[in-house]
Amino acid sequence: MKNGTLIIFKKELARFFGDRRLLFTTVIMPGLLIFVMYSIMGNAMTSMLDTSDEACKIAAVNMPSAIESIFPKENYEFTEIDGSELDDAKEKLSEKEYDLCMVFPENFEKSLTDYQPGQNADSVPNVEIYYYSASISSSNAYSSARDILDGVEQQISNVFNINFAESAEDMAKYDVATEAEASGTFLAMILPMLLMMLMYSSCAALAPESIAGEKERGTIATLLITPVPRNQIILGKILALSVMALLGGLSSFLGTFLSMPALLGDVDDAVGGLSGEYYMFTDYVWLIVIILVTVMFFVTIISVLSTLAKSVKEASTLVMPLMIVVMVASFASMYASNAKEEIYWYFIPIYNSIQSMIGIFSFSIAPVNMAAAIMSNIAFTLIGLVVLTKLFGSEKVMFSK
Amino acid sequence: MKEILKVSEISKTFRLSSKQQKIEKTDRKTKTAVEKLSFSAYEGEIFGLLGPNGAGKTTTLRMLATLIRPDEGDAVIDGVSVMKQPEEVRKKIGFLTSELKLEDFFTPDFLFDFFSDLHKVPDEIRLKRKDELFEKFGIDKFAQVKVANLSTGMKQKVSLVVSLVHDPDIIIFDEPTNGLDVITAKVVTDFLLELKSRGKTVIVSTHIFSLIEKICDRVGIIIDGKMAVCDDLKKITEEKSLEDVFFDLYFERKGDEI
Repeated sequence: MKNGTLIIFKKELARFFGDRRLLFTTVIMPGLLIFVMYSIMGNAMTSMLDTSDEACKIAAVNMPSAIESIFPKENYEFTEIDGSELDDAKEKLSEKEYDLCMVFPENFEKSLTDYQPGQNADSVPNVEIYYYSASISSSNAYSSARDILDGVEQQISNVFNINFAESAEDMAKYDVATEAEASGTFLAMILPMLLMMLMYSSCAALAPESIAGEKERGTIATLLITPVPRNQIILGKILALSVMALLGGLSSFLGTFLSMPALLGDVDDAVGGLSGEYYMFTDYVWLIVIILVTVMFFVTIISVLSTLAKSVKEASTLVMPLMIVVMVASFASMYASNAKEEIYWYFIPIYNSIQSMIGIFSFSIAPVNMAAAIMSNIAFTLIGLVVLTKLFGSEKVMFSK
Repeated sequence: MKEILKVSEISKTFRLSSKQQKIEKTDRKTKTAVEKLSFSAYEGEIFGLLGPNGAGKTTTLRMLATLIRPDEGDAVIDGVSVMKQPEEVRKKIGFLTSELKLEDFFTPDFLFDFFSDLHKVPDEIRLKRKDELFEKFGIDKFAQVKVANLSTGMKQKVSLVVSLVHDPDIIIFDEPTNGLDVITAKVVTDFLLELKSRGKTVIVSTHIFSLIEKICDRVGIIIDGKMAVCDDLKKITEEKSLEDVFFDLYFERKGDEI
């Protein structure tokens, strides 16, 4: 004969997969939304930083030709103006006719050649650059022009070099971390947080509806008068919800991962290519197991809260504080480059999942700690199931109006 | 006649919230819904619980159906105690009340199969029973329509059929005709009589005198959670009509409060 758990499990999945709207809002939409949003954000950020399309228009007073030649011609367009025209030019900054106004002291070049190391700061010449911070192109032009002038200054007073290199490849020799480690550190910073939050919100989107919703609509009582033991009903629901939550989480994760190149274009270069190719098969197994037990734990604890709630609305309110706990724990761990070593951290639910994931991504797995985290999640899930069974048996909880 | 249901001095007390205290105009924190209620039902009869709203009829039936537990006392249904083996009781009874809803998303056909599985009904019996019941109540016409799209009467019929998937020997109906149109109500009362003719025991609660007079063999009148009288319908109505008996009892007990 069929087992009660299996029958409930199948019914929950039939409900989920049969309802196109539910399937769309919980599985397809989150991933799609994240992908579209992050891609747009990424592209917007890139185009904000990317000013190469149009040359900066600079009004300059006393511009020495030697300095002007340092600015790449295709990016900077200089207009020589007289000192008396400066106020007029400054007005034009806000009208975006000019991006910058530069004022060089007279005899600027001569004062450079006369420069003595240790010269008093008051007596060195001052270059004034006026800009309009309300305009992005002006702000960008300001910082790039500053960078170029800083470079000029350093060349003049060059006393020593730091990490001198002819080319980018040459430069890379100073970073003794392997590409894998650099990539790992970056992933360990960002992915545990993302995964935890996506998993939690996926669970929080599904469990209240399945439990508080059935309670609110009076359909759970119909189940409770069948001879199926309470714990089988609960287990069937928890397993089905875990499957759905994993699908939802997977969708969000794919959305995030696929939009990563657009979002993190520059960072990607900085860490020498972001990729999962450095991870071994065992790393993926650890990750999948951690994700599984974490989702089960989330589903169970949200189910407990949903059972206590009288309505879906109340359940959604009850799960919010826990969302904050998950977020805080995730953010707090963002800048730890390595996972905690002491085993006791791995007994704390939520935190242990984050630490385990950091360990996996940063190649610092301690199998004992992983095992502790997995066991702890399973133990807390089991406790949650016992609590749920008690709650399902309590008429005050199940039939409160 | 075999005594198939024996209720012995069951009591149930609910805690009142402050809002409920105001409605009830009382300072007491608890309300006794059912107090030391006892009665028996015999195999193959229809037993009616009659009482005004709030008398404790629904609470009593819910205790028999094991949805809630009595604070005191016990009820034994076909040899099984509701206190000790609620899961066994659930196998023996069919319980129908307007509070038990069906999920909007599913079709009557799916729900019949689902609840048959939960009751471990073998497939061939399930199919035969489904055909029979669906035809009797005209559900076959909308067997593939989601519950959400059914009318109240249709939903009630589906609920009724779903509560009988395991062909229970004892059927407990809370207000079986409440909210039904006259046609559906007639179908339901006829069905109750048919169940009786097949040797089933039916327990119904109602506040409708005519329903009791039409179908019940025995009746228990509940007032304020206590059994006022419990006997054969014929004996009770020997001298007066059921309605007169009820109001005499009611004023006797509550006269000063009206």
